[in-house]
Amino acid sequence: MTAGFLKRCTGLLASPRLATLLLAAFGAWAALASIVGAQHAFTSPPFLVLVSMLAVSTGVCAWQRTRVAVRRAGMLKRVRELLPDAGEAQWDFAIECDPSLDTAAVLDIAEAALARAGLAARRDGTCVCAASPAWSVWGSPVFHWALVAAIVVIPLGGLVRSSGQMGLAVGQTAPDQPSSYGVLDQGPLRDWGDVTRQIRVDEFDVNCSAGGVDRGPTPTVSVLDADGEVIASQLVYPNKTLKTGSLAVYPADYGLATTVELTDASGTETKRVRQLVDFSGSAEGGTAPMSALVLEDANGETEYRMLVSVPLDPAEGGGYLARLPEAPRARIKVENASGGTAFDEEVRPGETVALPVGGTLRLLDVGYYARLQLVDDPSIPVLYLVLALAVVGLGVTTLAEQMLLVASPVETAERIRLLARLRLWRTLSVSRAEIEAELRAGLQAPSAEEA
Amino acid sequence: MTLEVIAIWMALLLYAASTAMSVIGVVFARDKLAARAVAVAGAGLACQTLSLGLRWVRVGHGPYLGFYEVAGALVFCTVAAFVLVAFRRPRLASAGIGIMPVALLLLGGSMLAQSSEVAMTAKLTSFWLFVHVAFANMAFGAFALSFGCAIAFVARARSRTGAWAKRLEKLPAQEALENLTVRYVLVGFFFWGIMIVTGAIWANEAWGRYWGWDPIETWSLIVWIIYAVYLHARFALRWSGEKLAWFAIVAMPLALFALIGIPAAFDTPHAGIGGYGRDL
Repeated sequence: MTAGFLKRCTGLLASPRLATLLLAAFGAWAALASIVGAQHAFTSPPFLVLVSMLAVSTGVCAWQRTRVAVRRAGMLKRVRELLPDAGEAQWDFAIECDPSLDTAAVLDIAEAALARAGLAARRDGTCVCAASPAWSVWGSPVFHWALVAAIVVIPLGGLVRSSGQMGLAVGQTAPDQPSSYGVLDQGPLRDWGDVTRQIRVDEFDVNCSAGGVDRGPTPTVSVLDADGEVIASQLVYPNKTLKTGSLAVYPADYGLATTVELTDASGTETKRVRQLVDFSGSAEGGTAPMSALVLEDANGETEYRMLVSVPLDPAEGGGYLARLPEAPRARIKVENASGGTAFDEEVRPGETVALPVGGTLRLLDVGYYARLQLVDDPSIPVLYLVLALAVVGLGVTTLAEQMLLVASPVETAERIRLLARLRLWRTLSVSRAEIEAELRAGLQAPSAEEA
Repeated sequence: MTLEVIAIWMALLLYAASTAMSVIGVVFARDKLAARAVAVAGAGLACQTLSLGLRWVRVGHGPYLGFYEVAGALVFCTVAAFVLVAFRRPRLASAGIGIMPVALLLLGGSMLAQSSEVAMTAKLTSFWLFVHVAFANMAFGAFALSFGCAIAFVARARSRTGAWAKRLEKLPAQEALENLTVRYVLVGFFFWGIMIVTGAIWANEAWGRYWGWDPIETWSLIVWIIYAVYLHARFALRWSGEKLAWFAIVAMPLALFALIGIPAAFDTPHAGIGGYGRDL
């Protein structure tokens, strides 16, 4: 019963009708989701079930195609074994030839006729053969297996993939660990334990030009090992990604960064922090802090929130220039726990101001920060390989013809006939009727209907 | 600039003449007129090549950006594929009745759009742009040919007797026409597949993700799947005849929609190719 059930299941999954229906359902689902803008439809359970069924169906289909390819490749390698046998009547069509022709003449004429039909025929002893190369039958299995592999590799890659954004001021180094990321998506099997590298932004060119093209604001990024040795370093701009191992670093955005030093009432440095500031069209002064610096009392209660922004230079025609101002300065705003403003002043680099919480704040510098997108996905090279295989397989499937023709004259005392065996598995340039008609015309034999 | 404009207008006029000659040649059973329509289309193609080349030199990049350039490149590939095929198989000249009107309307539509150049941005400066767009254009050219052959197939299938049967008798046999339709679908399917793969690789190199269900990615995949269904129907389910031809006829406009309709209708990172002022 189990074997029968499995057989029925396999039969169903191997059904071309089911495969076609699944493909159509996939297309319809994607079209509907795209039209209504339901992005979540592509991660919803029904869609995942559909993709899983499609994967299984493709797998079964690939297996069937492999078996067919093995059989066909065997036939293409042993063309002569398929030589028509007059005694066993194993031929697909027979052409009665002019009795005055001998075997060699029939073969010459048949070869020429097949060439006119667009087939590359060759003489092989006492027969004429036109056979596709053995590799031509492997395109479809390779393509289908590659599709299965892609469907498997993509979710497996998602299990160990991490993709996130990290903001680093020029000169700043951060470990490649979740705590360094502002935004991070990671697969459930992503392991950070063996990741010891660090990321550093060395420089920032706000008007970078390379290869004669304006690349826009561009950071120079370095990836360091655990000892601080540089593993890779380069300018990172669109289409020029820094890659090392499975890590790829992309430019995502940029903004400004301020470094402030806080001291207590006795003048001892208590904190030195970098505050990242984003450009914002709606914010006063053109920038908004990414986060507030929380100043706590001795009990750990939030006492004040310090917000740092950088007033930008105005742009011609209104708005602000998304650049470091000519005379950099930072606006320090301190709010008390109830949201009231306790302090709001502009400070220039090197200046020190007294804070309402006691102690002082000193602005050390104002510069750029680069927001980097870091993607660590070890499945990418495998996926590229699978896609390359799929393209090769698809190319062979769609462009290479799969056919086999072997024709041989059989001469008796009274007559001479050309017997032919023909397999047009995937041939669209010429039909069986056209081949037969061309041979009959060449041999001046009656047409198939007349015969 | 003046020569570029004159050349594209010449191309439009010659495509219009070729369309008219194809229609008259088929309707009034003037075989020579249908054959000459191919020569006229070839002359239009030469003019369009000149215009595209001059523009390429002037703006410093190929026809990749903006509706004017993208649609023009699609027309170029479509007409080039038709002229090449009709030159090799003169009996297919009548298929121009299905292909040339598409080329004419598309080129006319593109000339109504803004033709000012769209600047090549840093995000677009990539080797993959050329490969990705070239295969999209070639795929469309192949699909347009399959469309033309399928129209010729249906036209003759519906007029087995009478005047129309006589008008269409010079076309290749129905079996050959069907095979040609399938061949062009196969070629287009292959090129479209390369377009999707190169697009995914480029997206990963540029954005850090190879697939994001962006509308144009989604619709490119939908079109590919539609043609995959077509090929399964042909080879696995053994569909043939009018049913299969109608499938090819309906599928081609969807490919056109995916290439130039989606960037215009949806907010997508590919919006720049629609030429509506949004950056890629």
